[in-house]
Amino acid sequence: MRKAFLLAATMTAVLIALASAGSAGAASHREAPLISLDPAADITDYFMFRSYEPGQSDKVELIMDTTSEEPSSGPNYWNFDPSVLYRFNVDNDADGVADDVQFEFRFENEFRGTSKDLKLFLPDVALPGPITSLDSPGLGMRQTYSVTMIKNGTRTVIADGLIAAPSNIGPRTTPNYESLASQAVYSRPGGIRVFAGQRDDPFYIDLGAVFDTINLRAPGIDMLSGFNVQEIALEVPMSMISDGHTVLGGYAETARQKVTVEGDGKGKWTQVQRLANPLVNEVVIGTIDKDHWNAVDPEDEGEFLDYYLHPRLATALEAVGFPTTACTPFGGPSCTRTNRTDLVNVLLKYDPSQSNVSELLRLNLNVPPVALAAQKRLTILQGDNAGWPNGRRPLDDVTDIGIQVVGGPDYITLGAGDGVNANDKPLPAAFPFLSTPWDGRGRVHLNP
Amino acid sequence: MTRTRLLLAAGAAALTAAALLLGGVLHESGSAGVASSNRPAAALPLLSDFGGSDTASTIVSLQTVVRAAPEDVRALGLLGLAYQQRARETGDPAYLPRSEGVLRAALRLAPRDLTATTGLGALALSRHRFREALALGRRAVALSPSTARGYGVTGDALIELGRYREAFEAFDTMASLKPSLASYSRVSYARELLGDVAGAAEAMRLAVDAAVGQREALAWTQTQLGKLYWAHGRVRAAASRYRAALAVFPSYVHALDALAQVDAARGHLARAIALERRAADTIPLPQFVATLGDLYSVAGDEKEARKQYALIGAIDRLLIANGVKVDLESALFDVDHGKQLSQALSRAHAARAARPSIDGDDVLAWAMARNGQCSEALEYSKRALRLGTVDASKFFHRGMIERCLGHEVAAKRWFNRALAVNPHFSLIWAPVARRYAS
Repeated sequence: MRKAFLLAATMTAVLIALASAGSAGAASHREAPLISLDPAADITDYFMFRSYEPGQSDKVELIMDTTSEEPSSGPNYWNFDPSVLYRFNVDNDADGVADDVQFEFRFENEFRGTSKDLKLFLPDVALPGPITSLDSPGLGMRQTYSVTMIKNGTRTVIADGLIAAPSNIGPRTTPNYESLASQAVYSRPGGIRVFAGQRDDPFYIDLGAVFDTINLRAPGIDMLSGFNVQEIALEVPMSMISDGHTVLGGYAETARQKVTVEGDGKGKWTQVQRLANPLVNEVVIGTIDKDHWNAVDPEDEGEFLDYYLHPRLATALEAVGFPTTACTPFGGPSCTRTNRTDLVNVLLKYDPSQSNVSELLRLNLNVPPVALAAQKRLTILQGDNAGWPNGRRPLDDVTDIGIQVVGGPDYITLGAGDGVNANDKPLPAAFPFLSTPWDGRGRVHLNP
Repeated sequence: MTRTRLLLAAGAAALTAAALLLGGVLHESGSAGVASSNRPAAALPLLSDFGGSDTASTIVSLQTVVRAAPEDVRALGLLGLAYQQRARETGDPAYLPRSEGVLRAALRLAPRDLTATTGLGALALSRHRFREALALGRRAVALSPSTARGYGVTGDALIELGRYREAFEAFDTMASLKPSLASYSRVSYARELLGDVAGAAEAMRLAVDAAVGQREALAWTQTQLGKLYWAHGRVRAAASRYRAALAVFPSYVHALDALAQVDAARGHLARAIALERRAADTIPLPQFVATLGDLYSVAGDEKEARKQYALIGAIDRLLIANGVKVDLESALFDVDHGKQLSQALSRAHAARAARPSIDGDDVLAWAMARNGQCSEALEYSKRALRLGTVDASKFFHRGMIERCLGHEVAAKRWFNRALAVNPHFSLIWAPVARRYAS
């Protein structure tokens, strides 16, 4: 989940505050962490869209990013976590329950090659030569993974033994990174493509300006520039998951195994995080409900309805002197300032007349994809209906859309936003849709 | 143009204000959302370093916020947590009362604030005020029954109060609400207490996996896993975990301290002393200073040993002045080192009353035995072992009690059990156990 609007830096420092001291001597009380980060299970983005890659418009893309990464984090490079279950959940019959088609990703670590033979401290080395292939001996920690589809209660392994693209170490170790990463794009029968590995973080926001009350810049600075993520991308034919309905709902999930004090072994998978629409966890849901919100499934969103109807972001926007009203482009039966049924309708329902709510990212398959060059960052606010909240593409400026939609017409008129309108690296128009990751040696974070 | 900019600025200011005002939203990333908030962690990779300036500068900026807006509950809560972090980083307990001050201010303004409540609970745990911690943990759970960390505070307090069944329930609830390194490590500890060593290691390995990417948390979990191996005589496995901790966090004091004991066990006393000195110089925790003294003593340098031991009283006084209860730890130190045994026994009584855990029982039993009250000591030793915990020190204490009671055969059995579990359980007492066992 993305800490987009938040006072992120401060928070981090502080959350670590409760995160551990050592255990002491025999009689000393053991201070275990009370709260902790969980980067490997942290879903930073979820994308779902019809492919805008030329010739692929019959495909749906499901993408989750996890683990915001400093590229120069060697020797402990980031990876996927073998103890996490990564899963895409799709609702294809508009009942709000995303259990119709699911895709599970499980990873394994393999220690091999030069690093293993020579017992090196570094996993990935340019020994005996640079890492140019997923079989290069210099690639000492290799992750393999399986993809399992669950449809109509049947589990089908659609891929196994695939290799994840390693981290972009630097020009000596991984000199031709894109060629290496492209080997980790796998095609499978039936028009499926899969990729897992490191990519540039596509999210962009001027976190610092938002943080520092008045200190806005024009243009803003992408505070997430120069960071990478772990991407899991799955491309499937629309026909494979749509089941005839025109609108899909979906979300990304990470799960860990539950354990009990007196239980044997590891327990069942328990959802630790979910992500459908961006910013919901951060901006909509209140502190005391965060753990619970992440643990329950989206169809139980009714428990949290009040957060949508009376969003505290709107209250705060008002407190600063700008009225917020509904009647945003998503309309809604009531044009009130607090009873935001418009937000409920757009985030939680397939159709305003529906009574049940479910927090899913919804994608209308009848809306044709828009070529990358023609995509508008403010999507429907600029007449481009193929972006969030109709699914979500990497280019969509969800921060500004969020501000304007929650703020209402006045905010839209003045084009309120954070002044960062594009990612620091240009996005590619082809699978897996995110840019080359920053390498560890050459990484830079934008600065004024 | 100007107008647009102004409006944009207002928009963003509003957003910031949103962030500032919406306690829930913000707390989220400070606490509950912590589990999910790794982006800032990556943005500030050095934050988790001990002794880094980041916490210090965080404190300065939060102090600025609080001065400008003394009723900012969120900032007060975060500042309270930041002070606790700084206490950990520096070992300076003076940060604890400061933490308490701002957290209480936050609660006066917002009595139902979850972050401040949990923060005070964590503070009480740090100060070994477990009944107070239990009340705060219970309050946090009442404020948000679905938030995992309240059960962590509650369970930790219950453990130290000797109420194990309830503690384990709290940990189970915590782990089912949110499997995470926080809950895995607690389940691991509970299993260890129950004598389920393999299960404890398994849960701690899950904690290690869940800590990847967080320097301090990873170093902590690796060190804990190492200590679990160490406590059961697996020296090489332990050393490898400690080295893994130091690989991610080169100056991690708890791994330095643990590795010093490995070196001592292997007879490399000079290296052990150098490592322990690094740990104690970085953060002068009483247990590091005591171990350093023991290492000098084993090395035959009694003068230097006494110098270290003499520091402990001063450190303890500093801790006490800042609200930390040290009765149990200081009683154990005195009993172990044969200092003021009758006073140590009174302190052990008081400590055990405040903290009726198996550790409280064990230290009292050991203090009684060293004061010649061996029949009573036997009862507390039995209590100390009631969970089935496999703990060489507790076994050794029992051996000493049996020996004092003239039960030679039983005593030897306990000495041998202690040595079988961990032949290096104590720099001072393991050699004694070996002598009496044969």
